[in-house]
Amino acid sequence: MKPLKLLALFVIPMGIIIAAVPPDRVKHFRLTADELLQEAGAGVQFISPDVVADMLVQKDPSLRLIDVRTPEEFEAYSMPGAINVPLSNLLADEYTDILNQDAYMNVLYSNGSVYANQAWMIARQLGYENNYVLEGGLNYWFGNILSAQAPSQTSPNEEFALYDFRKSAAAALGGGGVVATEGSATAVKAAKPAVTSKAKKKPAGGC
Amino acid sequence: MGPLAPYEIISENTNFLLAFFIGIAFGWVLESSGFSSSRKLAGIFYGYDTVVLKVFFTGAITAMLGLLFMSLFGWVDLDLIYVNPTYLTSAILGGVIMGAGFIMGGFCPGTSFCGAAIGKIDAMVFIGGLFIGVYGFAFTYGWWEKLFFAKYLGEPKVSETLGMSDGLFGLFLIVAAIGMFVVAEWAEKKFPREEY
Repeated sequence: MKPLKLLALFVIPMGIIIAAVPPDRVKHFRLTADELLQEAGAGVQFISPDVVADMLVQKDPSLRLIDVRTPEEFEAYSMPGAINVPLSNLLADEYTDILNQDAYMNVLYSNGSVYANQAWMIARQLGYENNYVLEGGLNYWFGNILSAQAPSQTSPNEEFALYDFRKSAAAALGGGGVVATEGSATAVKAAKPAVTSKAKKKPAGGC
Repeated sequence: MGPLAPYEIISENTNFLLAFFIGIAFGWVLESSGFSSSRKLAGIFYGYDTVVLKVFFTGAITAMLGLLFMSLFGWVDLDLIYVNPTYLTSAILGGVIMGAGFIMGGFCPGTSFCGAAIGKIDAMVFIGGLFIGVYGFAFTYGWWEKLFFAKYLGEPKVSETLGMSDGLFGLFLIVAAIGMFVVAEWAEKKFPREEY
């Protein structure tokens, strides 16, 4: 038989087989268990609530908050601009495009960080990128951002800067912590005169 | 299991050693197909000898089917296979220059080394010309830099651009290649040459 006919007889059926195979089987995008363990151990998925607060205040369009709690909890309270993707329904078709994309930075949050972490692990194992977990969840958000605690007088300057930032972010975002911050603001102001009067006393005593 | 080097199943040195042996095998296959003869190589442009078309397309189809089937069996992760980035202007210009050189010289870079290895003087001169071109480009790089990097398209695959699966495009390519081989055999009958 002519070589060309032999080649065609062999190669064309192989081509038909490979064309008929559905494309999903031909591509891999799942992480191995090793890789997932490394990423989860390094904690690369966490994003600091201060960063999220800053992005919200700046109205950064690339941020997308995703609430993984139940719809009832979502109705009760949600972060500004958040959408609800319940953890129990995470793998539904309607949410695939939300989780598997590269336009937005998805920040998953729940009350603590257990459910958000679970959602992140599932999404990451499927190979989805650009998903992050809000460190500390809503509990930390409420306790430390929206109602930021004033640092003690002996704290370094950076803590005061962080506290000022959180105060202003809370005022811009939640409004829930405004009362608490006003009280602590007056407490800070009241503390300052005491410091200066002490300073005035010293030279008088020395001389 | 995937591609061996990115998964570090073999070390970089083993990678180079394997490349060395593959290179020897490549040269051997080229020489035994008669690719050291510049007349045989240039025959594709005149029609009397189309072995170049057949050998290279058969190689391409074998590699493509091999990769697709290995990906199907889970032995290779296709996303880790290196694909040359597409710079459209450079590709077209480079193709024109290389084609012109091929017709004039009767060799392409790989086969010129094959010919030089068996002692052909015209292959050695071709290699000399190759180095003149390479050094000339390097010393005048400033003139060409913008052109060199123009029209970067990423690494598009034809199957992605046409919106079909890899396997379906593979089938089209195989059918197209067989069609080209049939045309090539007709051309060899139509433009025969007694000796070359």
